[in-house]
Parts: sequence; C-alpha cells; structure tokens
Amino acid sequence: MSCTVPYLGHGVGLRTQHFPRVWDGTVRVDWFEVISENFMLRGGRPLAVLEKARGLAPVVLHGVSLSLGSTDPLNEMYLSDLKALTERFQPAWVSDHLCWGSVGGHYAHDLLPLPYTDEALAHVVERVQQVQDRLGRQILIENVSSYLTYTHSTMFEWEFITQIAQRADCGILLDVNNVYVSATNHGFDPHEYLRGVPVDRVCQIHLAGHSTYETYLLDTHDGPVITPVWELYRFAVQRFGRVSSLIEWDDKIPEFDEVCAEAERARAIEHQVWELPYAQSA
Amino acid sequence: MLNLRELQSRFFYSIARPVRSSEDEWQGFDPLLLQVIRKQGKLGPDARLDIYAQMYCARLLDALHEDFPRVAAILGEERFREIGRAYLRQFPSTHPSLRYLGAHLTKFLASQAAGVSAPFLGDLARLEQARIEVFDAPDAEPLRLDDLPMIPAEAWTTIRFQLIPAVQILTCAWPVQQIWKNEHFTQSDNLQPATTVLRVWRQDFTVYQASMDAIEQTALAGIQTGDPFAAVCATLEPLVSSLEEASTLIGSLLLRWVEDGILACTYEV
Repeated sequence: MSCTVPYLGHGVGLRTQHFPRVWDGTVRVDWFEVISENFMLRGGRPLAVLEKARGLAPVVLHGVSLSLGSTDPLNEMYLSDLKALTERFQPAWVSDHLCWGSVGGHYAHDLLPLPYTDEALAHVVERVQQVQDRLGRQILIENVSSYLTYTHSTMFEWEFITQIAQRADCGILLDVNNVYVSATNHGFDPHEYLRGVPVDRVCQIHLAGHSTYETYLLDTHDGPVITPVWELYRFAVQRFGRVSSLIEWDDKIPEFDEVCAEAERARAIEHQVWELPYAQSA
Repeated sequence: MLNLRELQSRFFYSIARPVRSSEDEWQGFDPLLLQVIRKQGKLGPDARLDIYAQMYCARLLDALHEDFPRVAAILGEERFREIGRAYLRQFPSTHPSLRYLGAHLTKFLASQAAGVSAPFLGDLARLEQARIEVFDAPDAEPLRLDDLPMIPAEAWTTIRFQLIPAVQILTCAWPVQQIWKNEHFTQSDNLQPATTVLRVWRQDFTVYQASMDAIEQTALAGIQTGDPFAAVCATLEPLVSSLEEASTLIGSLLLRWVEDGILACTYEV
C-alpha cells in the first residue's frame, strides 16, 4: 500500500484576514488548506467563506487538535465534528500532526513532542488506524518542529514517522521548515532526514517562515520562507517528485498576494528541478 | 524511565503550572521529567522545557486577548496577562478548540480583585462572550420585509414568530455597551451602574448589540418564549396608555426586528 492523493500544485493556508478576498472571489490559487478546528462551527461567516473557497479551488483540512500521540482516548466529539466537516466539504485530504497536545482532558493547544520509542510507535499506529477507520479515508501525518528530545528515544524521528506511515498505512505531510528547525535545534543533518523518509508516503509539503533566537529556532510562521529552507525544499522536490506544496503564514500575515508569491516561488523551484515549462497560477 | 502516560502528564503540568501552585510557589520543573530530556548544545533540559512553557502561556493569553479585547483594554496589558495566567491555572482548556477557552472568564473575573476596581468587568466579559457565541451560532433564514405582506390578515391573531439562533438577550447591571462603543474608555472614566438589557445578534456576518427599553424587553421576551403575536401585543398594554398605542409600538418593533434580521422565516400560524 502507499498514500495516494491528487497532485494539487502550490497552495496557501487560508486565514481569516483573507476571507474578504475569498468572499469577493478575487483570489487565484491552486488550492487552499484550512485549519479544521476553525470550521467546527454551527454557522456564521467561516463556514460560508469555506463554501465559497471550495467553489474557487480544492480545499484540504489540516487539524491541530487531534492529539494523535496523546494517551487520552481520542476525543469522540472532535472526531464526530471532523467527520461531519469532511462529509460536508469533501476535502482532497485530511491531515494532522505527529505529536500530542492533551492529557487528563486538558488541552495545551500546542504540538508537543513524543519520545521515539516502540511504546509510542505502537500507540500512535493504533490511533491513526482508529481515525482512518472513523473517517473512512487515509490521513496524512505531519512532522512537527521540536525543541527537546528524550533520552529514552530509540530511533530517529524520520524512522519513527516512516514506521507509523507504513504500519498504519497513512501518508506523510512533510514540513520542510519543521525539518530545518528541528535539525538546527537538535544538530542533525536535514538532508539525512529527507533521505530517510520513503518517497511513496510523502503526499504534501509544508513551507513556512520561522524565528531565530540566540540558541534555537522557533517555528513561528510569521515571515517568508528563508533561503536555506528553499534549498531544502529543492532537495525534497528532487527526492519526492511533484508533491502538492503549501505556504503557511499564521502571524504578521501580509496581503494575500504576498503569500501567493511564496507559493509561486515553490512552483518555480519545482519547475526548475523537473525542467517543466513555468506558468503562474491562472 | 517514564511511560508515555506519565511523561505526558508530567510534561503538561510542568508547562501549565496549574492551579495547585501559584507563580510564587513554583519550585521549578518536575525533576523526573527533566531527567528524560536530553541536554543538547547550549540548552539544558530546563531551558528546552521552558520554551514550551513560554509558548503555552503566550498562545493561550493571545487567544483570550483576541476574544476579550475590551476587557483587556480596560485592565491594561500587564494586569490582563496576570489575570489571564491565574485564570489558565484555574481553568486550563478542556476543549480541542480555543473558541471555548474563555468560557469561565466571567465567573473568574467576578472572584478577582480586578472586579472590585472595575465592577463592570464581569458584565463586559459577558457581552464579549455573547458576541463570540452569536458569531458562530447556527445559520437561519431570516424573515424579510417582503415576507410580511404575504401573511394573511386573519393569521395575525394566532401567528407565533421565532428568533434566529444568533440572538442573545443579556441583562447587565452596567451599561457596558457604552464601553464597547468607546475604544478610549478607561477605568477612570465615569460609568454609573444602570440595569441594562441588551440584545446581541448577528446579521449576515456582523455581530451587533443594542440596549432595549422596557417595551422592547417585554415584547421580545414574549417572542422568545413562543407567545402568539397577539398575546405579545397584549403584554404591552399595561405599559402604555391604550391598546392602540400598544399596536403602534409592536408594529414598529416588528419592523425593527425584521430589518435587523433577528426573526426566523419559519413561523406558526
């Protein structure tokens, strides 16, 4: 088995600031990714905008609170809401993060790191399978930026995510910026990470900006993608082929066209690598 | 070595520093947790875990600030963050969505010293909470002005109107809608207590609020409880000088409600 999703091109994360552009129909983009939790609502503007957005371009749901690695039971209400959302909006695919974010019924609203152990592996594989069974579709799991590792981890992160994808038969959303941030924070070679991930499991790539502090990098999504991350993306495209890419920009959000310009830069790199004729999104 | 459950529990309670300890009593991160965090480069386990603790606090305080902008403005950034941190220790998030993070803030403010120095804060928080709830309440097709002539004349004695789901009625001890309107309002501005009944509603995608006089309060309460329109009209009679005046008033209220889009297009005849 492998992960099969359509190739959508180069999209952008849809954020509230850009709702007016979607509402008036003036956006031109290959596809949108939206944060699932922001649309688990009963009515109002966000749902109306999402209806409009999917009339303009394909839409993908990306969650932040599934808490796949948590030892709490999966949240039934959340799964029910997610299923209802997928049935209503028919996203091209659904993704969430390889992390945990809740325990004892309390939510951190953060992407917290797992130890890379056999215990965690078996736990997450079972949870991914439960989610996929519930939704009736494969999901994609995303590597997160991390700021610490555990002494009892017995494998590298790229081995851990690969094992999960293969055992649970899910796809990988490869966040190239997160690989770069974690590689810097933990001192590994990001290329080794990418070489360690199986080609047939990578179904989407994330790109984003981050912040540089004195002793570490922080995944802030508050600026443009930096040059070393673009270079890593080039390497990823060489290895994984034409994979749908997406620009995330969540803080200090600029005009929609500036976010789209980043997506165009991803397109240009892909076309250079694969020697394709370059044409901007219509 | 900690098993996964124990690790997650110790991790969360380290970064959230919840209820059992105040900031002053905090003794540092859980030593058992620190033992399983690798020291890498210049950053030791403490510093690495602290990155998560800082992010936890910053993210949740930002979310509270976004939901309660006027409360934050009245308190000032520093005091709001101080109160926010205390709130999060007492009420850590229990929902996958941040939308519900501030659900207990009104109750919490009422128990705080800030409520004494600005006694209207609780009402202001209730207004901001109502605005959040109305913002994403279920959609409903509103009754339009064009629909009114379609109602048969004989139906007006028995017809019952319904409110759309995106309407809330708040009774406040303070006229907090004045603070909402005035971005420059400060605690030193003179606001006198006055019982105020507000209706908060969403029309299209915008949330509004308006204070209601006794006539509108009575009439809308009747609509809300499902009284026939004729009975709603009759409840106004003791408040005015004649049935004719009551009829005129209910007619203008009906037009206002329809223009504001708060009556649902479904009604019983």
